[in-house]
Amino acid sequence: MRLRVCHLYPDLLNLYGDRGNVLIICRRAAWRGIRVELDAVSLNDRVRFAGYDLIFLGGGADLEQGLVSRDLEKKGPFLVEAAEAGVVILSICGGYQLLGRYYRARDGAVLPGVGLFDLYTEAGGKRLKGNVLLRLAPELQTEIRQIYGRGGAGPPSTLVGFENHSGRTFLGGSVRPLGRVLRGCGNNGEDCSEGVWYKNAFGTYLHGPFLAKNPHFADLLLRRALARRCGEVPLAPLDDTLELHAHDVMKKRLQKGFIRVR
Amino acid sequence: MKIQAVKRTIGKFALWLRFYLAFLAARLVAFGCRITGRPGTSLPGVAALKIFPGLVRFLAPGYERVLAVTGTNGKTTTANLLAHVLRKAGVRVAHNAEGANMLPGAAAALLRDCDWLGRPRSRVALLEVDEGSVGKVFAAARPEIVIVTNYFRDQLDRYWELERTTALLRSAVTELPGATLILNGDDPLAAAVGRGHPRARCFGVLRDAAPEPGAGSWEGRGADSGETREARFCLFCGAALQYRYYHYGQLGDYFCPGCGFRRPDLSFAAAGVSAGDVLAFTLHYQPPASPSLPPQGGTSILLKAPLRGFYNVYNVLGAAAAALTLGVPAADLKAALLDYTPAPGRMEEFFFAGRPCTLALIKNPAGVNEVLKTILARETEKALVIAINDLAADGRDVSWLWDADFARLAGARLKKIICAGRRAADLAVCLKYAGIDPGRLALAPDRAASLRMLAQEAPEAEELYVLATYTNLFPYAGLLRRRGRRVEKGAAQGLPSLP
Repeated sequence: MRLRVCHLYPDLLNLYGDRGNVLIICRRAAWRGIRVELDAVSLNDRVRFAGYDLIFLGGGADLEQGLVSRDLEKKGPFLVEAAEAGVVILSICGGYQLLGRYYRARDGAVLPGVGLFDLYTEAGGKRLKGNVLLRLAPELQTEIRQIYGRGGAGPPSTLVGFENHSGRTFLGGSVRPLGRVLRGCGNNGEDCSEGVWYKNAFGTYLHGPFLAKNPHFADLLLRRALARRCGEVPLAPLDDTLELHAHDVMKKRLQKGFIRVR
Repeated sequence: MKIQAVKRTIGKFALWLRFYLAFLAARLVAFGCRITGRPGTSLPGVAALKIFPGLVRFLAPGYERVLAVTGTNGKTTTANLLAHVLRKAGVRVAHNAEGANMLPGAAAALLRDCDWLGRPRSRVALLEVDEGSVGKVFAAARPEIVIVTNYFRDQLDRYWELERTTALLRSAVTELPGATLILNGDDPLAAAVGRGHPRARCFGVLRDAAPEPGAGSWEGRGADSGETREARFCLFCGAALQYRYYHYGQLGDYFCPGCGFRRPDLSFAAAGVSAGDVLAFTLHYQPPASPSLPPQGGTSILLKAPLRGFYNVYNVLGAAAAALTLGVPAADLKAALLDYTPAPGRMEEFFFAGRPCTLALIKNPAGVNEVLKTILARETEKALVIAINDLAADGRDVSWLWDADFARLAGARLKKIICAGRRAADLAVCLKYAGIDPGRLALAPDRAASLRMLAQEAPEAEELYVLATYTNLFPYAGLLRRRGRRVEKGAAQGLPSLP
């Protein structure tokens, strides 16, 4: 069994330890004896997205996002094609915004996006930043429970992470949010939605290596990525004590408010 | 005419009145800090600035020279080195040595140094300035010499991105056309600040000292690349920068194939660097009159400093360049560097649980990588505490851990890594995915417990290390001093130590 992973623009979109997510996916596959092939794809590279099982797109600074946006004018349609064909895509922060319909800057200038997700982003004033706790969409919760089977404490129904963005993202009617914000701001700080989910493509503002504290979500991505080529394969259980402990520490802190740890 | 004169007098009087009120407020707050046991490094400045916002602008002109040090890593060490060299040369220096490096910290340092008539006791003011505060502090203090160490990603939750931080500095120095800039020429981000500036001089390290021969262009794409390098693209034309060699991070000998931007000619160059327990290198420099170095020329001097870690070459270079520019004789510089004592938490040495124990500050990926390289340069069995906090001063976001190259530790001779601090769990996960055996990881509930766990490893570990983020640093230093003892560096090498 093998897993083909494409890390898009790793040299440009790498602002907040984004490579951590790719590392986590690859390690979790390798620990289960799956052979991982990782390709880095950047500006002007020719690429066949449909050949991959999982595509990852991180966040970057304004200058880099501009360069990527221009390059995506060429690659975009193929990326949309891959998403429609069920390739798993994880896009974070800046990458998430780029996959929407457009981004409207403060001066009113419109930067067209790839249009993979039915959403648009508007530049906002105050940055939305801080730790986030969100409850996953019910269907995703069910799916995660199926992966882990019965028994044990069961996987968390939440995601934790850190957001830091000034853009406000609004979802259209044909896509669903990844979850509902319990603590933090989420997509726009107004409607309590966080992230987006369409077929096997996901987007979120939880930046940096958010899969580290959310191993259950990493496994969901992994399961879907493998299912496309190999059908349903059971994922061998891993020892996630550390990861889930980190999840719980942050979750408790956010639920209780701020507690000083000596 | 008379009315104007009266107005001027009244204006002057009002200014002085505000200064006195601010001065008294600061003294009061400082006294309050002393009796409550707070450090009181910037709080008096906050109070004084509330009363007199123009305080720094009011006091700074009283100094013969105002110097500023800014950048991401090495500010404190560079500024401390320079203060030490100037003091050894007999110059009194006002210096915000405690790392209170925003406007209130600068105000507090100048207030501490002046008498009740607003007259400075020192001849030179040396200000360490936070990258985000250069606009405010430079406009108020108008430094004549600005030293820039380097730019790395750091606390992105506060500064968003490097482009913005460097743009802040570029606009701040355009307001100082008469100032001399002393820049790290090996860092494209720092060197770019001097482009078009009439008095910019660069320091850097020559090739023979490159520990990392990385010829050609950027290497390290994909998820497994070790080091995160900033500034991959030319700031002026956007083409990918090419490198003849790297020293670490994006520091090295770069050139842009697009527009010709390249590492500037070096006015201060280090060659033949040896970085062990003592840092030693040959400094080639031109007397300040001439602009830059021909390859063989100028003056050479062998410098030694009791500092560990290759990265300290740049800190010594920056301080030496400023000292020589100010006219400190080379022989005095050389002598002063020999008996320098490292700043608190910059590879500070203790004796704990019967073993040497080193305390080091970590705050961003580039810093972590350099500290790890320094630690691993010694082939000894080690045990570590790594303490990660996420308070405002540390950076609320700890994603930066994943940009650091912890994979270096996977193959090292390590007994245990004890994860501590508010984000101990995040660190443990990060280390696990970096390839470190979870059996060698431990989680500590608090600082005291982490040191107890470290002491348990001591019998089998030859060296102990504590790596801590900013808000953990001073508490750990206090604990280590109480439960162990501090080692005086100078004495350890048979050099005269300071009284």
